[in-house]
Amino acid sequence: MTANAADVRDETVEVWDSRLRLHVKVAGDGPPLLYFHPLPGLAWQPFLDQLAQRHTVYAPEHPGTSPGEPQAIREVQTFTELLLVYEEMIRTLGLERPAAVGQSFGGMVAADLAATFPRLFSRLVLLSPIGLWRDDAPIPLMQMVAGPPEEVPSYLYAHPESEAAQAAQALPGDPEQIPKAIAQRTWNIGCTTKFAWPIADHGLGRRLHRIQVPAFIVWGREDALVPVMYAKEFGSRIAGSQVEVIDDCGHALQVDQPERTWTAISKFLAG
Amino acid sequence: MKVTLFEQVPYRYVPEGFEKRHNSVVTAPYQLVEPGRMTESLFSAYSELLHGARAGFDGICVTEHSQSSYDISPNPTLLAYAVACAAQAESLDVAITILGRSLGKTREPLKIAEEYALLDCISGGRLIAGFPVGLSYDANLNAALPAVETRERYREHRELILKAWSEPRPFPWNGRFEKYGQVNIWPRPIQQPHPPIWIPGTGSPGTLRDILHNDFSFVYLSWDGPKLTGREVFDRYWELAEELGRDRNPYRLGFVQVVAVSETDERAEKEYGRHLQAHYRAGPGAIPLTALAVPGYAEPAAVEGMLRSAGHGGMLTRLRTATYKELVDSQVAIVGSPATVADQIEAFVREFRIGNLLVMLQNGSMPRDLTEKSISLFAEEVLPRLRPIWDEDGWTNQWWPCARGVPVTEAAGGEKA
Repeated sequence: MTANAADVRDETVEVWDSRLRLHVKVAGDGPPLLYFHPLPGLAWQPFLDQLAQRHTVYAPEHPGTSPGEPQAIREVQTFTELLLVYEEMIRTLGLERPAAVGQSFGGMVAADLAATFPRLFSRLVLLSPIGLWRDDAPIPLMQMVAGPPEEVPSYLYAHPESEAAQAAQALPGDPEQIPKAIAQRTWNIGCTTKFAWPIADHGLGRRLHRIQVPAFIVWGREDALVPVMYAKEFGSRIAGSQVEVIDDCGHALQVDQPERTWTAISKFLAG
Repeated sequence: MKVTLFEQVPYRYVPEGFEKRHNSVVTAPYQLVEPGRMTESLFSAYSELLHGARAGFDGICVTEHSQSSYDISPNPTLLAYAVACAAQAESLDVAITILGRSLGKTREPLKIAEEYALLDCISGGRLIAGFPVGLSYDANLNAALPAVETRERYREHRELILKAWSEPRPFPWNGRFEKYGQVNIWPRPIQQPHPPIWIPGTGSPGTLRDILHNDFSFVYLSWDGPKLTGREVFDRYWELAEELGRDRNPYRLGFVQVVAVSETDERAEKEYGRHLQAHYRAGPGAIPLTALAVPGYAEPAAVEGMLRSAGHGGMLTRLRTATYKELVDSQVAIVGSPATVADQIEAFVREFRIGNLLVMLQNGSMPRDLTEKSISLFAEEVLPRLRPIWDEDGWTNQWWPCARGVPVTEAAGGEKA
């Protein structure tokens, strides 16, 4: 069965002593898989449809990023609290050892959940995660987030002019909807960068050794946001992990190299 | 009304065309600075403020910005303290306003409580305490605090400072951002429970509501002059005041206006025109718009509103290439003879019920002698026309320092004159 956007349903999960109602997009069939989105919020992409072919995909929206509920971000004060919120969410949903896929900001979340709760997941996929820092390889997250919008694609894609990259950054066709869409995306980044500002280093490097599940780290060789040397940093800290570097590929892996990214991930998840 | 000399502290020698290559904040390259000229730029600001105090301005005012070429004032308390000491030495009765320390930016709010209290004490109770949130580039890029927390920090810090000033006994503070086992600052402000509080802002409804609710005074601090965006903001303010049951006391409202005065309109344009144009282009005009709204600084509804109104009214998006003529025609800068300047100011002050006028007479590359001439002419020929405005209405200005009537020598412990 091929899932498509029509099959995605919206579930709400009450957590955090009823102070938070998390919105979770759910699709597909099969063993559970969690997807943690990157800085600008959750966008349901073909990649998630692919995952939904073999899994029941649960994709939570970071607190504050669900339209109409911007103040939810106030209920999560620290990154540690964010991890506790997601751990509660997984128990509330009744998921038994789901697989976890985390991308960029979501990769940091997934990696730290796996390190903090070593028996929470069955498998872990990290797609060019943030969360570590080397002085000789600074991550220009602040420059990207606070810089001119027209420069954002050059941080994310190996080929910013490609059709796929343009489509991924596209605004609504109806001009009347554009201000709302920009405002939502901007706020989403405010909500995620709350836990990644100005440097996304919460000490994850000191905890990665606690990860006990099979882990797969995927990176684009031309990543202009989180340099590819971080693939090795994650790989060397997580015992038994596999690292795959994809050529001609930037930070947003599945936009630049959808097929190669999918092939690598599906093989790992099936293994 | 009360008229205050407002100064920022620009580096006066940014090269021509700076704005085409650089931003004036965050990344402004320091390599352009010659150390001796920095000394001169900083000292000129002090000298001009003191000149204004001597010339008869009711108050002087400075602001805080870090990592900027247009306002080198990482801690305005330092400059204000120097002026306050000089004013004491000369027995000048002048209010000292900081507009102000950025409470959404600071990591040490108690230091601000202490420093403001020091200023109030050394000036004999003449401090006006400004409590701005802080611009986004300053709070979220320079100080690198998460943008989405800026206003939460602001609210906690303001509450802590007000309590530190007025609570008679030591107290613990278990805040979200600050934790202290014992707060017991020395000194405390002479003005109790607190000095007058002015809140500068760009006029968002949330800020205005907060100001009126707490009975503070609002200062509309924009780069737009009274004509472009003034009516919208001022009308909103007085409507909200009515809604919240506040009176129409003009001293609830302040406004910052760029002004330059010479003997005639022609001379004013000749003397100040190029300095003003260069200032707007290389100073506020060279702040990238993205740096004024780092994601999370403004709520989604506010961002959507800004996007929908962009291009209507304000000059902000055009300052980088603005011409002198545009600046003057739009009243972003009011320039001319004393009569021209007084006429224009009096008209909008009366129309919008402004009780506290802050005039910015130094801009960018304008040299000290020229600035001091403008200050003198304003004080001698414009100020006397403005000061009586609102007198006949009998309003009490509770947002002005209470020690204004106390001779400085007495406050300083000397003999009465």
